[in-house]
Amino acid sequence: MQKPEKLIIDGRRLDGRAPDEMRPLKIIAGPLQRADGSAYVELGKNKVLAAVYGPREMHPKHEAEPDQCILRCRYSMAPFSVEERKKPGPDRRSIEISKVIREALEPVLFLELYPRAVIDVFIEVLQADAGTRTAGINAAAVALADAGIPMKDLVSAIAVGKVDGTVVLDLNKEEDQFGETDMPVAMIVRRKAITLLQMDGHFTEEEFKQALDFAFKGCEQVFEAQRRALKEKYVVKV
Amino acid sequence: MEVVSRIKKDYIMSLLQQGKRIDGRAFDQFRSVSVEKGIIQTANGSALVKMGATQVLVGVKIGKGEPFPDQPEEGILVVNAELLPLASPTFEPGPPDEDAIELARVVDRGIRESKCLELEKMAIVPGEEVWTVFIDIYVLDHDGNLIDASALAAIAALADTKPPADEAWKLQGFPLRKYPVAVTFAKIGDQLLLDPNLEEEQVMDARLTMAFTEDGALCAMQKGGKGYFTREEVERAFQIAKQKSAELRRLLGVG
Amino acid sequence: MILVQNRELVIPGQKIAEGKYKIKEGVYKEGDEIFAAVVGLAEISDETIKVIPLEGRYIPKEGDLVIGVVIDVHAWGWVVDINSPYTGNLLFSDYLERKVDPVRENPHKHLTLGDVVALQVKEVNERKYVLLESGKAGLGRLRGGRMVEISPMKIPRVRGKKGSMLKVLQDIGGCRLLVGQNGRIVIWAKTPERTAVIVEALKRIEREAHIPGLTDRIRLMLEGRNVKDAET
Repeated sequence: MQKPEKLIIDGRRLDGRAPDEMRPLKIIAGPLQRADGSAYVELGKNKVLAAVYGPREMHPKHEAEPDQCILRCRYSMAPFSVEERKKPGPDRRSIEISKVIREALEPVLFLELYPRAVIDVFIEVLQADAGTRTAGINAAAVALADAGIPMKDLVSAIAVGKVDGTVVLDLNKEEDQFGETDMPVAMIVRRKAITLLQMDGHFTEEEFKQALDFAFKGCEQVFEAQRRALKEKYVVKV
Repeated sequence: MEVVSRIKKDYIMSLLQQGKRIDGRAFDQFRSVSVEKGIIQTANGSALVKMGATQVLVGVKIGKGEPFPDQPEEGILVVNAELLPLASPTFEPGPPDEDAIELARVVDRGIRESKCLELEKMAIVPGEEVWTVFIDIYVLDHDGNLIDASALAAIAALADTKPPADEAWKLQGFPLRKYPVAVTFAKIGDQLLLDPNLEEEQVMDARLTMAFTEDGALCAMQKGGKGYFTREEVERAFQIAKQKSAELRRLLGVG
Repeated sequence: MILVQNRELVIPGQKIAEGKYKIKEGVYKEGDEIFAAVVGLAEISDETIKVIPLEGRYIPKEGDLVIGVVIDVHAWGWVVDINSPYTGNLLFSDYLERKVDPVRENPHKHLTLGDVVALQVKEVNERKYVLLESGKAGLGRLRGGRMVEISPMKIPRVRGKKGSMLKVLQDIGGCRLLVGQNGRIVIWAKTPERTAVIVEALKRIEREAHIPGLTDRIRLMLEGRNVKDAET
């Protein structure tokens, strides 16, 4: 892909968005039958599916913790989810992302309720367009709630960045690839508690503060969508 | 290995004696099947098949690769299947196990042996570079009969495929010569049941898959499981499968 | 101060109330603030606050009646799958309710792999090791019938207030049901068609558990099927 000459023209991004505007977000709770809980998220062109199994018996047994539950998380991208086919199987990037997602979700779980057990979260990226780990967290949080696993709260995530010197919310693929900065954030919206924070690129103090403002604003919108998805599942025509 | 409850096996068997299945279907009836094409824009072609509650997503990617030394002018077909841990509590993360490998190879056989892909026209530089068609089977939700759902999703994804925008692509569009469709039976006791659901698979003695092209010719076959089939059963299955494969083929929307 | 309506659908993290209330399942407290911990229906009474979960796995409690599947046999007894993250151990002597000589007696003669058995939860310790026994259930191995699994959270709806739903299912539905706390139900009915109707009713209860008037809807559904059966 060729780098576009400008990423911001007349204050608008290449896809027409304002700097503080998110891509369209759609969330469905419970699309899978077999899993204990599941969720499907579309964030712009991202399509991400999450499934939760648990709490369930831990295998191998000797890796179980005697007095609390273990949370395991696997983030994976489908071979057809990106332009150049990706070989199936974990790579270094997906292993790191699996870890930070797990650490983003752990703070809201009551792991002491289920000694010796495990909660498995599986995130599959079916189509990628930057922001897959944030879409994955949003799906995983809804899937955990969908499974009836007790949580202190939901976790919501969005990425912020900088392109052409302007701080922007929810980077798409071109902005992620050709921009100056990428900062994914996950938080417990109601408590303003940040559970995932990564950054690569360049931010002045001013830009960083603005980016955090955008992140909070974006996560609030994500939280609304997650809440709606969970409630909508129970609207049943009798 | 999941232990199946005695009650489940007894119940299914007693129903079969009365000519019934647990979900009320006839012995030669498919569950409700849907095919949705063009789901994944990053793929050259894609399709999502729902067969009852089973859901399989297939993506086709076309790339460049080295030909096999003994077939320097032929494009390459690679079929890979992932039994995603999403899909069942019994699927573990990790490289494909024997079930995933068997699934991929059976689907591969149907496509390769039917010669539906014009692989012989996919050379770029003979002996050095050829087009490679990757078919990735992503099992999302397992409620039985992953083979038929995966095979149908694979051919539907191929039918949906658009060629790469590359001047080295010499074919007109992405032509398919045939549309192979697979049909699977489970054998429980003496009965052959079409399109087994998960519970039927858990108690079956054996399964038999047959893939047909639209001219009624058999292009692939696979027996699985510990039990056996009599010759009469195999020939009876052939007749039913041939007819049913035509029914499934209509869902591809290929005219 | 109560912040939601009774029977309102709430989601994890939603603040339900503030003040000195007693809390039961489905909620957690931080100081004086009470929050929902699961997706469910808030239940507010004068003194207690809880959220009835709509989904979730079965966690064994002492005294529960459960329907288990034997998954392993040892000289001391059996390991039983009870549709929970935790398997249950059933000692030979607890099953037979008498002293057992492990040298002379063979557990396989009583229960073997795949057998379905109605049991009571005898004991659960803090590490969630579970002991099972015959208990009041006393029904032992179950034969015939069709076993169905629904979300364990919906089992109370299958019983209903004072057993009202169970009565509708059995009397009007024309069957006998054994309902386990662990989400498993065994149905005995005269014909497979009848069994299928009961399975449908149970799945419907599972789907509509959170919507009031369910007992009446199920009664109407079963009466309608009875009329249809009589006509054919």
